[in-house]
Amino acid sequence: MRASEMTKLILLLSIVTMASLPPMAFSLDGDSESGERIYLKRCVGCHGVDGDGLGPGSERLIPPPRDFTSGMFKIMSTAFDGYIPQDQDIYEMIRIGMPGTAMPGWEDILSEQNMWDLVAYIKIFPGFDEEQAGPAVEYGEPIPSSAESIEKGRELFLQDDRCSECHGKDGKGDAIKRLLGDNGERTWPRNLTKPWTFRHSNDQKDIFTRISVGIPGTQMPSFADPGSKKMLSVEDRWHVANYVKSLAKTVRVVNAENTVIKSLRVEGSVPAEVDDEIWEQAIPSSFFLVPQIIVKDRHFTPSNDTVTVRSVFSADEIAILLEWDDRTKSLPGDEDAQKIADPEVLHQDMVSIQLPITVPEGMEKPYFVKGDTENPVNLWQWASGTTTEPQSTSLVKAAGFGTETELATDSLKASGAYESGTWRVVFRRSLSTESSDDLQIQEGIFIPIAFSAWDGSNGESGTKNTLTTWYWITLESESTALPFIGALIALFLVIGLEMLWLRNGAGRRNPST
Amino acid sequence: MNKIPKLLQLILVVGGIYCAFVLVFDVILQQVIPNSLLNMYMFFIAAGVLAVYTFTEEGTEELLAPIKALVENPDKVRTRNIVFVLTPLVVAAYIYSQLLPSIEAPVELRSIHPAPPSSVKIYGKRYDLKTLENPYRVLETEDPEKFRELVSTGADIYIQNCHFCHGDKLDGQGPYAAGLNPVPLNFQDVGTIAQLQESFLFWRIATGGPGLPDEAAPWISSMPIWQDFLSEDEIWQVILYLYDYTGRRPRSWEE
Repeated sequence: MRASEMTKLILLLSIVTMASLPPMAFSLDGDSESGERIYLKRCVGCHGVDGDGLGPGSERLIPPPRDFTSGMFKIMSTAFDGYIPQDQDIYEMIRIGMPGTAMPGWEDILSEQNMWDLVAYIKIFPGFDEEQAGPAVEYGEPIPSSAESIEKGRELFLQDDRCSECHGKDGKGDAIKRLLGDNGERTWPRNLTKPWTFRHSNDQKDIFTRISVGIPGTQMPSFADPGSKKMLSVEDRWHVANYVKSLAKTVRVVNAENTVIKSLRVEGSVPAEVDDEIWEQAIPSSFFLVPQIIVKDRHFTPSNDTVTVRSVFSADEIAILLEWDDRTKSLPGDEDAQKIADPEVLHQDMVSIQLPITVPEGMEKPYFVKGDTENPVNLWQWASGTTTEPQSTSLVKAAGFGTETELATDSLKASGAYESGTWRVVFRRSLSTESSDDLQIQEGIFIPIAFSAWDGSNGESGTKNTLTTWYWITLESESTALPFIGALIALFLVIGLEMLWLRNGAGRRNPST
Repeated sequence: MNKIPKLLQLILVVGGIYCAFVLVFDVILQQVIPNSLLNMYMFFIAAGVLAVYTFTEEGTEELLAPIKALVENPDKVRTRNIVFVLTPLVVAAYIYSQLLPSIEAPVELRSIHPAPPSSVKIYGKRYDLKTLENPYRVLETEDPEKFRELVSTGADIYIQNCHFCHGDKLDGQGPYAAGLNPVPLNFQDVGTIAQLQESFLFWRIATGGPGLPDEAAPWISSMPIWQDFLSEDEIWQVILYLYDYTGRRPRSWEE
């Protein structure tokens, strides 16, 4: 009796333990020889023949490709004191890739078996093929997200600068601290408001795992380590995970279908400052910024990644608000800014709006980078200033690279403000000007518009910057009664037709009865 | 099929085609068709289907029977009243929405593989694209070892210059692809390099976006002018790599 009860208990316990384990995909036995063949075809370009991350593509990549010989894998679910990742961790990094980096997910062109073959081969570089991974992270009882849990998480995030030390008080990764990776390369704390840049995913459990294990090869530590002064209990880590997940800022999410910035009509004058309440009514549109790799000198290591645009206009002026997350306020001459700058040269932060001087009638637009000889563009530029010089605004005419000429800026004003990891700059201009070198802005038409940004702490100046392709801006036409009148006419017309038909139909119906 | 009234059949066919468009382009391919273009397609499809259904007089009568019955059949007074109230409202609402100022971007149609010019000037020399061939292609059979070496050099050049947009997997999904419009070409797709001669690729790579003819909207393409960065040999080697990695064959003049 006792024995059978014991068996039952063991059975029950093992079922409970299995159920509480992370839901793992079935792990296949990898064939390292097949893995080697795939590796030599698909991985050497970045990770190198010797797995040291020194492939020919490596020097133009930030973050650099993983050096497998180091044995450090960023995504790991082995408890903090183990140093060998679970096979599943390596598999997942191959399967979905590393979002926000050049490492793509491979599941669309490699079979499951092939990806396991790669796992088997990659484990040979650090000598993990002969060793066992440590135990997995303890997850305990996950705490579902709630306002209360998020608030607790926020307190823990800020407590003794636990997370905000690097991630900034609003989670935008803007704290002034220079971070280095295991190979001495520059790393940046994650901007937690942009979940699509998280290396694995922004799944609540994934965030919990990163907090518990840390990110090997970077300065992100384990918060499950009892030796750490900042250690968190399992429960507290769920709260922080819930808080981090809640930071996702939807306004920065780029919607590929949204290519039109709609400028909102306002009464009175347009706002001159970035914190005017009117901006809350304007519709935000976000676009990706990509590094300039089209003309010399090219820029392969950008730090700005999106720009969010809002616009309003009045009877005689237009205002455009640009907003972008930049981890550093680059102020040449400032000691703290200099410390965090990379490389050593520190430039101003800058942003510019590009508009055609003449709105194209047909499809043809100016060349999307600084226009061309037949189709010149206006650049509205703003620079953040230095410790000795204030912010500056300039108006430029360009007809291709290297043809920029500065114009008088009487009609153009700009003013910017930096706050916890975000620059906001508002440009203002009169709708029409006296100069034939200026775009004359009209309502109700589609005007091409493009943007550029420079992070001065990231060595960006001149052609080294990030930019967007052409999008559109349109000033909402004055609302008229036309749609309403049109609808009324249609309504009566259809009713009239129906009456006519009814009478005819009735006529036909009577004789048959 | 006979059980379904013709009118319903017509609605089902046109509706089905519309749903199929949305399913294939929006959901499966994730390549949304501009509304104005879709409306044009649907107009022709509806007109075509209507033409088929009204081809004979009986067909037309059968098609219109349920509509006629609405007015002529006293049993359907209730349905008629509902239809007669709803129709003007729907039409009015539609007209209203159409007359509101649109904020949908103007449609821009561009040719993705424009016809190449017969000759182009690259590296200060004139090339006849009709006769131009990849000088290294012959090595594939004559000296496979040397050929592999060149493919591998091509791979290095690709990973240092091209993958940012065209992607590690040559699928047009590089890390910066999402920020570009038009999107970078997907070389894995059977409709791209497999349909083109190597000389076409040489022309497109060497002269980049600004070298495109007007119908391909050169002003928006983000393809750099590679003759400014790569040597002639390097371009040919990258081309070898593109075909080798994707397992495609270049199109030749004989075909």
